[in-house]
Amino acid sequence: MSKSWFKLDPRTKLMMLITIGLIMMSGTNVGMDYALRLVCVTLPFVMLLTIGNYRAMIWYVLIFFGAVLFEGLWLTKINGVLNIIVMTFCGVITRFGPGYVFGWYVVRSTSASEFITSMERMHFPGAITIPMAVMFRYFPTLKEDYSSIHDAMRMREIGESVKNPFVYIEYILVPLMMSTVQIANDLSAASLSKGLGVNRKRTHICQIRMTALDYIVVVVMAVMLVLSFVY
Amino acid sequence: MIDFNDVSFEYKSAGADGTRVETGGVSNINLKIKKGEFVVITGESGCGKTTLIRLINGLIPGYYNGELKGTVTVLGKSVKDTPIQELSGIVGSVFQNPRSQFFNINTTDEIAFAAENQRRDPEKIRNGIAQTAKLLNIERLLDRNIFELSGGEKQIIACAGIDVLSPDVVVLDEPSSNLDRKAIEHLAVILGKWKEEGKTIVIAEHRIFYLKDLADRMLVMKDGKITEEMDAERLKNMSYEDTCDRGLRCLSLSDLPFDKSVISGGETIEFRDFCFTYKDKKHSINIPELEVPQNSIIAIIGDNGAGKSTLARNLCGLEKKCKGTIIYGGRKLGYRERRHSSYMVMQDVNHQLFTESVGDEVILSMASKKASDEEKDGKAKEILDSLDLGRYMEIHPMALSGGQKQRTALASAIASDKPIIVMDEPTSGLDYHHMIQVAKQIEKLKAMGRTVFIVTHDYEFIWRCCDFIVHLKNGKVARSYEIGSDTAEKLKNSLFGGEQYV
Repeated sequence: MSKSWFKLDPRTKLMMLITIGLIMMSGTNVGMDYALRLVCVTLPFVMLLTIGNYRAMIWYVLIFFGAVLFEGLWLTKINGVLNIIVMTFCGVITRFGPGYVFGWYVVRSTSASEFITSMERMHFPGAITIPMAVMFRYFPTLKEDYSSIHDAMRMREIGESVKNPFVYIEYILVPLMMSTVQIANDLSAASLSKGLGVNRKRTHICQIRMTALDYIVVVVMAVMLVLSFVY
Repeated sequence: MIDFNDVSFEYKSAGADGTRVETGGVSNINLKIKKGEFVVITGESGCGKTTLIRLINGLIPGYYNGELKGTVTVLGKSVKDTPIQELSGIVGSVFQNPRSQFFNINTTDEIAFAAENQRRDPEKIRNGIAQTAKLLNIERLLDRNIFELSGGEKQIIACAGIDVLSPDVVVLDEPSSNLDRKAIEHLAVILGKWKEEGKTIVIAEHRIFYLKDLADRMLVMKDGKITEEMDAERLKNMSYEDTCDRGLRCLSLSDLPFDKSVISGGETIEFRDFCFTYKDKKHSINIPELEVPQNSIIAIIGDNGAGKSTLARNLCGLEKKCKGTIIYGGRKLGYRERRHSSYMVMQDVNHQLFTESVGDEVILSMASKKASDEEKDGKAKEILDSLDLGRYMEIHPMALSGGQKQRTALASAIASDKPIIVMDEPTSGLDYHHMIQVAKQIEKLKAMGRTVFIVTHDYEFIWRCCDFIVHLKNGKVARSYEIGSDTAEKLKNSLFGGEQYV
């Protein structure tokens, strides 16, 4: 988490996420809007670069520009239902993609305690921030569980004997949920016994503070939002 | 220091068949634990030892619901009337499952977590972490992603968090269940350090061999009551028969009787060019040649990271990139054929139970398209009966207890008609009787003509039921041999200490 040479405060990241989300979802593709969108599309790319996540970065570039190219070149040549499907699909990627990828960057670059600390500074109640922090921690567990369940299914050759996709999904979801309940239970007990409480202030060893860089980024984001709504 | 005054507790929960189950509760406990005392609580599963731990760290009544009578006081504070967050400053807890006791993803954050919650000064916490890391020799584990750590390393991180917090009382609930020998040794060193510092330690545990030199007192529990108290002297002198009588795991292997009949000869399974490396290049196996007896019980042993699980996964054909083959009954099996002819019972059986009832679960494994539903039902019933699960046919697998789930997975393995069965740590966290039960079931599999591979750290269990040892080291087979009266000494040495054999 501290490996990045370009470290932003979680609050700044949140501001960027909101800005990207709003600008990408609203607005058009001409004039000032176009310039703003260009910035928003570039931001996730740059931020992934700062945490050295090149793989995600390359996937992002490929998928995003693939969708843009599809939209621009191919869409005019097809019509009917296929047109609608492709348009929807590309539209979702070009509008939501950058926000989604940036959100992923936020999760990857922010530790649970940094997150709780900065939320505390913004006077968010613990009842909201603690469950969110648990979510952060839960994703890798989910991944582990999923791959283990997937192995079990392969071994029992369930994919071969069960053709109905809904039954197949059920077979993945049931053990996943059971495992989730179990882990959630254990985790709650462990966190309680380590003194985590909703309405308790805590200290923190992570250094969270707004630097000059943070202020610059926040101001730029605010200007972008204003521009996007005024024009 | 810790005072139980006529304490009774009953959980509010229902069992698989809907009736109220009262396992795990305790009744009329009177217990005084002095400052600086090291107390081991042991007994069979469901005897109430975990409940005692939860009564000390305040999870009862703070988290688990039920009916509590009597009073528990820790350092003069009544557990019932003290908020758990306050109690957590004086009682540190380590839990059984390393996977689910972490709030943070980063190890350093996790070590600091409990101390942060007690509003300790950040500068002091930072110094504390540096000191603890040095003392426990875990500098290399700092600032890492917890998900990359082994179970043993995770458990050590949990201990490090407590070391930084430095509470007067530490309670541990079966901390060694998922650990290998090296990790248990590390844990014992940490416990010894805490004891020296004068901390009061209460530990609930099945595997007591690593505690016999640390414990000042051992309590044996049964059905929610403390049935026996032993001082350190008595504990050290317990014989194998003494531990068996009480349903306890053995204190050392040296006095284990050897009474297995040894079978030699017969057909073999051959491994050829069994090589595989994971993408992360960290774990790999390299087994050019290996021969193991067919229709026998084979233990795969070795330290964490030696390649045991990797071998098991490749054996089951879960890795496409594995080029090697095995020769079984004169047939060459590539990864795909291996998947058709092997079945793994995973350590976390929750991940491999998919259907709505135990009966369906078993039927799902029956590949035969010809058999009618009635035939399948009948066969499933037969298999389940043989594993004492007959009356649970209609029950949802997730409503079963851990041991019952494991037997359900075994039943599916039997139903699948696959000749090779692989089990990953089938006895982790099991008491003596349940361990024996698992051993007997595995012997049944053998009697059915199956070959069983078992990845395990549990040496008492190996001693009881395995025929053959494959000892892995750094992904290679260091040694493989049959267990017989002549190799028994060799095995003891290679399992305990004798590094020259490893």
